[in-house]
Amino acid sequence: MLHVDASARLGVLDLAIEVSIGPGECLALAGPSGAGKTSVLRITAGLLRPEAGRVVAGEDVWLDTVRGVDLPPERRSCGYLFQEYALFPNLSALENVAFPLRSLPRAERRIHALELLDRFGVGALADAHPKTLSGGERQRVALARALARSPAVLLLDEPLSALDARTRASAARELADVLRRVSVPALLVTHDFAEAAQLGDRVGVIDQGRMIQEGTATELAARPSSAFVADFTGAVVLTGSATPGERGLTVIELDGGGMVVSTDGVSGRVAVSVYPWEIEIERNSSEHGGSARNRLRAEVISVTTIGNRVRLGLSASQQLAAEITRASAERLDIRAGVHVTASWKAAATRLMHL
Amino acid sequence: MAVALAASAVLSGCGGGGSDKKPRLAVSAASSLTQALTSCSSAFADAKVRLEFGGSDELAARIRQGAKPDVYAAANTKLPQALHEEGRLDKPRVFANNELVLAIPQRSSKVHSLSDVGKPGLKIAVGSPSVPVGSYTAQALSRLPARDQQGIEANIRSKEPDVKGVVGKLTQGAVDAGFVYATDVRATAGKLVAVELPARLEPTVAYGAGVVRKTAHLAAARKYVQGLVSGACEAALHKAGFGSP
Amino acid sequence: MSIAAHPGLQIWFKIALGVALAVALTFLTLPVAAIFVNSSPRELASSLGDPVARDALWLSLKTTAISLALIVAIGTPAAYFLATRRFPGRAVAITLVELPLVLPPAVAGIALLAAVGPSGILGGVVSATGIELVLQTAGVVVALTFVASPFYVRQAHAAFGSVEHTLIEASRTLGASEARTFARIVIPAAAPSLVAGMGLALGRALGEFGATLMFAGSFRGVTQTVPLAIYDRFATDFPAALALSAVLVAVSAAILLSIKFVVGSEILGGSASR
Repeated sequence: MLHVDASARLGVLDLAIEVSIGPGECLALAGPSGAGKTSVLRITAGLLRPEAGRVVAGEDVWLDTVRGVDLPPERRSCGYLFQEYALFPNLSALENVAFPLRSLPRAERRIHALELLDRFGVGALADAHPKTLSGGERQRVALARALARSPAVLLLDEPLSALDARTRASAARELADVLRRVSVPALLVTHDFAEAAQLGDRVGVIDQGRMIQEGTATELAARPSSAFVADFTGAVVLTGSATPGERGLTVIELDGGGMVVSTDGVSGRVAVSVYPWEIEIERNSSEHGGSARNRLRAEVISVTTIGNRVRLGLSASQQLAAEITRASAERLDIRAGVHVTASWKAAATRLMHL
Repeated sequence: MAVALAASAVLSGCGGGGSDKKPRLAVSAASSLTQALTSCSSAFADAKVRLEFGGSDELAARIRQGAKPDVYAAANTKLPQALHEEGRLDKPRVFANNELVLAIPQRSSKVHSLSDVGKPGLKIAVGSPSVPVGSYTAQALSRLPARDQQGIEANIRSKEPDVKGVVGKLTQGAVDAGFVYATDVRATAGKLVAVELPARLEPTVAYGAGVVRKTAHLAAARKYVQGLVSGACEAALHKAGFGSP
Repeated sequence: MSIAAHPGLQIWFKIALGVALAVALTFLTLPVAAIFVNSSPRELASSLGDPVARDALWLSLKTTAISLALIVAIGTPAAYFLATRRFPGRAVAITLVELPLVLPPAVAGIALLAAVGPSGILGGVVSATGIELVLQTAGVVVALTFVASPFYVRQAHAAFGSVEHTLIEASRTLGASEARTFARIVIPAAAPSLVAGMGLALGRALGEFGATLMFAGSFRGVTQTVPLAIYDRFATDFPAALALSAVLVAVSAAILLSIKFVVGSEILGGSASR
């Protein structure tokens, strides 16, 4: 269990955050740059001292400004994955991973470090120096190093942002895997909501030093509490299998049923994304012509009004979020429980390899 | 000192082209002449005098290496004579005498006379043998009985390349005694006291000066050298404690 | 056509660069080359055989080595402190540390005399401890350390300041104390610059003349370092001075190269790439 609450003045930013993360759970803090997300990580790790705050990991109090407790970073048990990995350039990959294993005798250190590198698939690179490794390889070594001494808390700073687009997809999958298997609280920070949705069990949206809304990704997309969250939570992501279809369109069979088409030429396991405001809502289920359009029948689960816009949480074979104007919502008499047809263009359907 | 080396190399290179009015005269002189010549040279009517002081041996060496002052004034006659024989200096003349003395700090409790200087545990500074004051000192000491000479030499802690260095060590309190010129002691205005050496030890300290060959300002240079013997500079030398030749 | 695009100016610029380099190289290497050209190997050998020269060389090496050791031992943590801590008066401290850089050697000598000379501010304290500086080899070490330390400290300060912050933070989060981080991460990362600083300090110390002469004096085997010995014989025996200069240049170059080689090979494959 990790509990962090802190208030700090950081330049022009006033930070006031409180988070609690259970064992094995990953909370992804998402928000624009400058929102203060990285500062939360740094406060947890002891690299930044807030004006007031508490950091408690399990039974251990790492920071308590009221009682004057402030453990230095080396006495806290954090596995910190830095944005640019911060691998020590003068040490090999193996030596990097062995660095935190000071308490073990020398021989055991090497064995343990090698095991870790193997587990992350980079055992063959043990003697290589960071500058000879690719971005993805470096990320894995850094992760191995962060986990080497079985830390009580895992902290990840934009773990995928330093990777090129191609490596990112597979790295995201692997990281999600690691996070699932790790049994300690994990706090992850990203500027990309889709990344947060993929990696975090829960997502917290941060802006200007404050937590705006916290919940599962689906909840945030379906029931944004403010326009900011609505804009920030962006695209809906569905999963399915894609195959080439007729007239240059790709046909995707959604997991759980249903079919959509896309103009993207990707095949295999895919993530399908479309922005909520590109989805049109109709009450009836008539099949119009125009095969370059997707249609799904769905039930309205939630209706959230934010100013002039209405976010609808929809349930088909998977969860969707759609956004329409208030006027349209009133005209169509949209309420929870009614069945609607959600439709959007094939061209607005983005596909990504899963 | 290194700065002076560099500076003189540059300046002596452009010393030749004198403009219409007063020519510029470059004079290289022994350090012990500093106070005297500095005070009288501005009054020299025939030229604007630029003075440069240093160990006489160092100045001679630079002339040999191609430096071109117009006048050379040394603390001995040996160096000017040698330069003359090499064809670099016109026949030099003796222009002043000086006296080698034992100098001690004003309120010294350790040394009162030459006989004290050989006592074990004392610290002395002398000039390096290649510098006139150093060779005069060596001459004087060699005239002592061997044991006295050894006693004194055992106390030598520094052989300075320039007589001003010896004076400096004395005024700083780094050494208990040193061998310098009477004029140097006088120039410290009381900080040092001079103990005269017995006459039989006293070397002949004769200062010689000459016009450097191929100077561009022959007339002015000759006049300057003459002035050392019978002009404003002669008076200044007397005032500083130099004797007439 | 903009000035930058004008082809004639492009070529002219390249030529100017080349000429500047040629002039700089010539100016810097000609005097050094002249030393070797003007002394025959026989003179060099006899110079080495001369006991006065050998004494001077040994003294120079000894005092420079001790000086460099002191400079690195004290200067390294001092530079690290300056680079990583913010404290009131930090800018002043940095300026003070760099001050000897701009002091002419003679002034440095006078300053040392005024501070720790027999009539200096701390002169009484120094003699009370029984240590003798003026006219002693220890005094030479003091003079060398004084004039050469800014060369190292300034370089070390810049080096430590440019070590990536995240490396230090990563080390701390991995359980290493500040001291362990300093030794295992910061020093290796800063090593190339530190070595360069050592080279500069070494060069300055080996060549030091004015402050040594003023503060410690000149006496064979005790305080007469090679520069002082060269000066002493320059007037009476120019070829010997030349030969001794050649020896000094050769020794300096050898030491410099071996420092670079030894430290360079230890950090091969590491931050040397940066």
